[in-house]
Formats: sequence, C-alpha cells, structure tokens
Amino acid sequence: LTALIDARTLPDGQVLTPDLVIIGGGPAGITLAMALADTKLKVLLLESGGTNFDPRVQALYAGEQSSYVALDAGRLRTLGGGTNHWGGWCRPMDEMDFEAKPWLPYSGWPFSRKALEPYYPRAQALVEAGPWIYDQKGDAMTASEGSVLPLGQGGLYTSWFQFSKMRGSVLPTQFGHRYEADLKACANLTPLLHANVTAIRLSHDARKVERLDVATLTGKHFTVTPRWAVLASGGMENARLLLASNDVMKTGVGNQNDLVGRFFADNPVPRDVATLVSFAGPLAPFYGSNQTLDDGAIMRATFAPTATFCRNAKVLGSLSTVEQAEELDQTGKAAVITTAIALGVDASKARAYSLGCGIELAPDPDRRLVLTGEKDALGLPRLKLNMRIADADFDRYRRTLVEMGRQLLASRTGMLRIEKRTREDWLRDWGHHHLGTTRMHTDPKQGVVDADGLVHGLANLYVAGSSVFPSYSASNPTMNLIALTLRLADHLKKVTA
Amino acid sequence: VKRRSVIAVVGAAGVTLVAGLYRFTDLFVKHYPPTPYDDLLTRLIDRDQAIKLGRRMTDHFDVGQQAARLRATFASQDLTTAIQADIAAGRLIEMDGWVMPDTLARLSALAAKTTTART
Repeated sequence: LTALIDARTLPDGQVLTPDLVIIGGGPAGITLAMALADTKLKVLLLESGGTNFDPRVQALYAGEQSSYVALDAGRLRTLGGGTNHWGGWCRPMDEMDFEAKPWLPYSGWPFSRKALEPYYPRAQALVEAGPWIYDQKGDAMTASEGSVLPLGQGGLYTSWFQFSKMRGSVLPTQFGHRYEADLKACANLTPLLHANVTAIRLSHDARKVERLDVATLTGKHFTVTPRWAVLASGGMENARLLLASNDVMKTGVGNQNDLVGRFFADNPVPRDVATLVSFAGPLAPFYGSNQTLDDGAIMRATFAPTATFCRNAKVLGSLSTVEQAEELDQTGKAAVITTAIALGVDASKARAYSLGCGIELAPDPDRRLVLTGEKDALGLPRLKLNMRIADADFDRYRRTLVEMGRQLLASRTGMLRIEKRTREDWLRDWGHHHLGTTRMHTDPKQGVVDADGLVHGLANLYVAGSSVFPSYSASNPTMNLIALTLRLADHLKKVTA
Repeated sequence: VKRRSVIAVVGAAGVTLVAGLYRFTDLFVKHYPPTPYDDLLTRLIDRDQAIKLGRRMTDHFDVGQQAARLRATFASQDLTTAIQADIAAGRLIEMDGWVMPDTLARLSALAAKTTTART
C-alpha cells in the first residue's frame, strides 16, 4: 500500500514530475484519482488539508462576502472536501437542466444529459446510494410505505431523492475516510496531504501549464512539473487559483475573456416556504423523512416541476420537500373548511405540513468572485464574493408554488399557503453548493473550459467539479459532479494514451 | 280530556318549539342579518368560516362591483362548477398566502364585508 504522504515531511525545493497532477482531494479529485488507477499514468494528488479538520488550514478559505455566509463556513479543507459535511442528498440532474432556454440568457450545457448517463451508475456506487431507483421506479418501490399524493395533471409531480448511505447514525459517505484505503491501493498514485498549490505557472506563450508552485503552512516549498493538470479544488478555490496565477496571463489563467469567478451560484434552501394541507389526512412517511427500503436504498419524496411546466411557465428547477407537521391558525382552518366544503371534500382529518425547498438560480455574470488585496498565510490573495439574487429568481419559484396549489385544488387532495413575503425571508439558508465560476461552454467568449473541461487556450489544464456547471439545476451537485468527473477521466485516458 | 287530544297538543307544541328554535336561534342553523347579497351568500354552507377567511382579502374590494361579478358567474353555474372552472383556468387569488379559487375567494370576501360572523 502507498501511504498518504505528508508534504511537510518532503525536502524543501523538491521537484515532483508526475504525468498528471490533481489539485484538490475533494469528491472530484478523489473520484478522478481512483478512476485513473487502471492507467499507466503517474498521478499526484495534492490536498491542502490533512485527514482531519485543522483550523489553520481552514483559515486559508477566509474571505469577504455580501449577502452570503462566511467563505470559510460552507466548505471544508480536508481530504474528502465537502463530503465531510454533506447531507447525502442525491438526485440526477434532469434533461431540462442541460437545455439552453431561449428566455434565459447564458443557460444550457454543451451536451445533453445523455453524455452523463453512462457515468451515473458508477457515481451512484461511489456515493453509496444503493440501487438506481429515483423517478423510474420510486413510486412503485415505495408503494408499501404509502401512496404518493395525487396531484393530477399539471406542473409538478412527486420526484425522488436517494441518499448516500449513512454510516451508523452519523453521516453519509465521506470520501476522504471512505476511500482512504482505495487511494493508498492505487499503485500509480501519490496522495500528498498538506500540499497547497500557490500558483499555476504557464509557459511564456501561455499555451500550457509548465509547473505548479506548492507550499506547506510549515514553510516548505516545492515544485510540480506535470504533463497534465486537473484543478479540482471546489467552486471557489478553482476560480481563486486561476485568478491569482497572473504572471503570464495578467488577468489570470483562463481569464482572457473575463469569465473566471463570474456566474457564481448556489441553491437557496429556505425553510417554511409554504404550508401544504392534505385533506385526506397524514401524508405517506416518505414525504417527511428518509425511508430505508428492503434493498438498502434510502429514499425521500420531493415535489419537482415537470419539463413541460418549466418550458411553458419559464421557471427553473426547484425541489420542495415536506419538513414537518404543523398546526393551522384560525385563518388556515377557515381556508381549509371553506375550500373543502366548496369542493365537496371531507377535510375532517386534514393535516398540515411545512415545506422547504432548494431553488435553482438564473446564471448571472455579476454574481462573482474577485481577488482582494488581503492575502492568506501562504501569500495567496483572498476572495471577495459579490452575491446577489434577482427578484425574478424568487418570482419563478413562487409561480411554481402557485401551480402546486392549483394542482392540489384540481385534484381535490389539498391546498397550499405560500408563507414567504419579503425578500429577506428567502435569503436565510444556502445549500453551500458552489457552482459556475469556471463555466463550461464551447465558445471561449462564453466559457472558461470547453465541453471536456479543458481550459480554453491551454493544452493541458482541466477543471473538474461543479465550478464548470454553466447552469445549475436544483438537484444537489455532488453525485452529478462525480458523474461529470468520471466522464473527464475517460477523456483523459484517451488524450494521455 | 281525551288522550288523543293531549298527544296532539304536545306534538304541536313540540313542532312549534323546534320551528322556533330553528327560526329564532342558531341552534340548528346560523342566522345572519339580511343583506342585499343573500342570494350569493347562501351558497356558503359555513359562512362564519368564509367570513374569517374573507377578512384576509387585501385587494381593493368594491362590494357592488364584486357582487355583480359573482351574480354574473352564478347565472350559468353553481359554486362547485365555478370554482372548478377557476382552478382549471388558473384563476387564483392568494388570501393570507392561501392559494384560493377566484370565485370562492371573492365570495368569502363579500361575506366578510357584509356580514358579522356569529362565532
């Protein structure tokens, strides 16, 4: 077995010469390293953190932000990255998520979902979410637990999350711990911890990466001269490192068209967005909590908009989940009684539930990361996030909720109250999904990387992870970015063969 | 006095009592002061609940105009048919956030504007 090597123990000034270097040991970096294990490539994996949380390492993330959580709060700089604190929610992106929408500027991927489908089964296995069920078989597989809420014809339907397998009663699959042995078993891989890339050095003609400057917090410096490099440091750090590496390209690596750091996105996940009343009584248990099936799959229902509704009503993705039972106030009871009588429905057993949601935002070039004058302990400029959300983002989700209310009335199964009033009501919780800052597009003027993840204009620098998502979906990104990384691995196998 | 007469008197008194309770108390049916809109409001089976809901109508509400609009609606259909048509057409109003069929929301608001709840 190879060991996880602590870069602080390496001789100062050493030059490492792998075939391929992966910068970042989060879910993308670990996935890529393991996917390349069957190649002859000599692979080096550089992870800034160790196997456990270290506040000095975490402090490298600190930055400035407006209308958003602290930049060192929503991510973890240890082996395994964000999977050390994720919730395990998995759902493949919808075909609609990949489509260019005529009414929505900057939307669409350079390929359809079909390009990712071959990689989803392996991604599902890596996140340990059990058999592939989701919407194909979700209703049938959970029938013994109860019935899905009849919504009839309309814009929303019951869709399904699956969950990364819980370990004991604590957390889902954490890639660092779960795959540590697998990383050690990769004969062609050198996993290096506490190794921070501080600069990407390009050739003088700015055509390729020549070397990486790497440092430890203990003052060691060394150099990596790879044939190929893959940046997999997360949605914020990918942009930061590209922007900060500005000795040859003065605006930063890959930033010839001023796109690096722009289009930052996250999924707002406000709670108590609405109250759903079921006239017939309690909802099936899979709406309000995770249900473990006999085959080990962990599932939970959610309300998702159909592709047809999204196209016709010009709304984006959203996933509304039942949070908890609640009591109706006097007006609520009056609304239920009045409506049920008028519909000719018995609502004497009606139950009310609060809804939470995850919302997809529209791409926005001015929602961006920029460098500040302040530097971290390694001399790298810190980030500032200019966060903003358009009223239209919330209006789109409100329209989705209204449609859900309409469907409940049409099917005479219930009704809905929209709870959020002010903009501030919506802006309290985030998914900590960092998306879009090195977006993918075939046109260099519209994207930082091409459809294969290769940085436009460079021969040997790729980007992996959700920073390449050009538009975002409401589905949680982890399993999707893993599928995309597996696709990148196949591409790298071809170009390096 | 014949036994049959006693039974008839007691029976008549009982019927009169029940009729009185029905007419002059809320024991069996709630009674509301007459309004010019009772032809509309009698469509609400539980007017008290509708009044509670209707108080949350925040849109400008001209009673005369709304009553005329509702009468036009009910000229050709009953309440159930009208609200199902609203739902199918997406004619919805939010009252205190509740997504309501347009006709039912306006009828509830009319009740709130013109009647005092009995509970």
